Amino acid sequence: MPSTNTAAIEADDLRKRYGSEVALDGVSLSIPTGTVYGFLGPNGAGKTTTMRILTGLSRPSSGTVRVCGVDVADRRALARHVGYLPETPPLYEEFSAREQLEYVADLRDIAGEVADERIDRYLAEFELLDDADRRISEYSKGMKQKTAFVQSVLHDPDVLFLDEPTSGLDPRAARRIRESILAFADAGTTVFLSTHILPVVEAVADEVGVLYEGRLVAEGPPDAVTSRAATGDSGSLEDAFLAVTSGGEDVVDAEETDSGSERV
Amino acid sequence: MSLRADLRHGLRIARAEFVRSVRGYARDRRRLLGLAVAVLFFGGNLLFSLPTAYLLGRTVRSADAIPFLGPAATALPFLLVALAALRTLERIGRPEAEELLLSTVHPRAAVIGLICAEIARLAIWFGLPIAAVVAAFALGLGSATFPLTVAVVVLPLVCWAAVWGYALGIGFLRLFRWLPALGRAAKIGGFLGMLALVLASQSIGRLVADGSFSVRGALDAVTIGPLTEYVAVAFLGTPLSRSLSPVGPGILLLFVALTPLGTAVAARSAKTLWFTDASKPERATRSKTSSGGFAAPRPFAATKPGRIAWGHLVRAVRHPQEFSHLVMIVFFLGPVGTTFVQSSGDALGALAAATGVGLATYLAGATFGLNPLGDDRPQLSLVLLSGTTPRTLVRGRVTAGVAVSAPVAALVPAAALGLGAAPELAGAFAAVGLPMCVAASLFSVGLGASYPIYEEREFWGAETVVPSTLVMVAYLFVVGGGTVIGLLATWFVASGRLTATPLVAGGLSVYVLTTAGVSYGSYRYAVRRYRRYAFD
Repeated sequence: MPSTNTAAIEADDLRKRYGSEVALDGVSLSIPTGTVYGFLGPNGAGKTTTMRILTGLSRPSSGTVRVCGVDVADRRALARHVGYLPETPPLYEEFSAREQLEYVADLRDIAGEVADERIDRYLAEFELLDDADRRISEYSKGMKQKTAFVQSVLHDPDVLFLDEPTSGLDPRAARRIRESILAFADAGTTVFLSTHILPVVEAVADEVGVLYEGRLVAEGPPDAVTSRAATGDSGSLEDAFLAVTSGGEDVVDAEETDSGSERV
Repeated sequence: MSLRADLRHGLRIARAEFVRSVRGYARDRRRLLGLAVAVLFFGGNLLFSLPTAYLLGRTVRSADAIPFLGPAATALPFLLVALAALRTLERIGRPEAEELLLSTVHPRAAVIGLICAEIARLAIWFGLPIAAVVAAFALGLGSATFPLTVAVVVLPLVCWAAVWGYALGIGFLRLFRWLPALGRAAKIGGFLGMLALVLASQSIGRLVADGSFSVRGALDAVTIGPLTEYVAVAFLGTPLSRSLSPVGPGILLLFVALTPLGTAVAARSAKTLWFTDASKPERATRSKTSSGGFAAPRPFAATKPGRIAWGHLVRAVRHPQEFSHLVMIVFFLGPVGTTFVQSSGDALGALAAATGVGLATYLAGATFGLNPLGDDRPQLSLVLLSGTTPRTLVRGRVTAGVAVSAPVAALVPAAALGLGAAPELAGAFAAVGLPMCVAASLFSVGLGASYPIYEEREFWGAETVVPSTLVMVAYLFVVGGGTVIGLLATWFVASGRLTATPLVAGGLSVYVLTTAGVSYGSYRYAVRRYRRYAFD
């Protein structure tokens, strides 16, 4: 649940062009602190581009982004506020999970004892303790994903960006990640969650935004998006998603916002 | 404060990158074998270079008497910068797991880490043997301080070259992103330049031997005096010491001063490269489409291996970067180039025809056959369950290799007629060239299947699965040797220089039977490897 009204992520009129191709077309976001924000959209809609811009890893063609009040261009100040788990886990296969996490803790300037305590706790929580000294090259996809998730939260970030964190995981590992997302949100962390797995969004998100062809076409709490998106009687988030990403004519009941998306 | 933090993070990154490299060298048995071969090779060289350095230290009476000291002092900075720039272009222009590093530390720390790790790798590969040679020379010279003064000279130079080489490499990457056509042209230019260098290096010996080219004069012309003065600093405090000019220490200070400046330039440039996108999409603006479905033309359409071969050929044309490993042939063109230069009249035509056949046998196996399982790995789960027999799959590869090479084997000897090749000789070369291509292609699939490589790596700017170097060298050795024997025999027979005796007939029979037997056995082995393939 959102804990305050302060915006953890504030993006204004983001545009991104690659030559003549438009990847993002005027996306604006204002996500309160402590919110779990489900970021949906079909393949190629611009979700990963948005996440890279919000984490400062890519520059928008125009528009501004502030995370926790920090301009994302100021990477030195931004780094301690954000954790980012990209779709492909950024791990070094030559390291063991423990080495990887200790390395990241070192780069994050986390004090030794604190780092050791957190690493042990997270390894235990994510059932990686027994395999902590094995090389990551020998890990399963789920183990790699859990290790990458732990490294993205090791410094206790204010805002957590997760790109498809449960994709391809078995139900047990997926549930573990889902529970962690909720635990972090309860502790006040803002979670920006991009995924195709709509039940995950339904289970954890306070708010959803739907990106379609580079534009934010719908935004609001999941129930509201579902009920207002002219989806008939069944009324699932999946129906709403299909409705708002099929060209936009089905979303007639939605209220138009300044940014062009339908705020419901 | 931020500089100190970036330095600390940079050194931590360097340590991690170095550890990863060392673990990568010893990751599996294949890499350990390659490492052992490299150590044996370099170690073998040390057996000769260490006593030579020791004797030189004992006998030399002045620094000027050390052979090629001035040219080496001039070349070293340029070579180091070029090496660093090349490594940046090929390998370290971007950090691995860049989302992690760039969202965790400042880009300057990442740059420092990558450069320091590169210096550490350089120290392992080259620093240790060079240190051994320096120590042997110092022992001969009887100077305990010489290794220290060498370190004082070499370290600032290496650091300077590493950071400016990195900055140069990043600059090229930005330029190639801005002008992709220039990047492609640079690759072609690099290939042609390398070819020219190999040919020139082979020809220069002849020019030196006949006295029309003076090595000493050429080296004196390119030697840069101040760099020689800089290297002379290393002899301070040794019996070879001479009066010290201020130029040497001045250059040392310049290297020291330019290193942080180069780091700043490299970091700024890398930041721009890493956080901005190409002004145009890096993918082609024109979408690639195909029409007409998969319809193999004749004669490929007639058989299933033919249709499979056609599939290989179509993919090869659409993604030629997959065949970057074929550039290896350049290193074997040198001797042929020298012979070309020295040849005239009938010999030139015959040599051209023979070279065509040699090139054809190389292409027959090296194009599609040297890593069949590795190349097919992404699709193996499909093809092995498709109902097509392993024999057909392997024959498809063999056919593709023959399809590429047969025209070369036939047309180059034909074209050699224009260079004065005797028609009967050109015809004989073309006639033996075709079965040689089949034999080479059959041999390659078995050799390649014996040592498959699955990991993709960047080679010549393309992400591709490159056959094992050991396999490529073995293929060149066996097929190259066999081709030379076969062509010599053909030349003797076609020119009437060979009298038919039982010994000759026996020798030829052994050659033909060995070639056929080894090739067929290799082919059967490849089929068996496909049949028994299991995903580990």
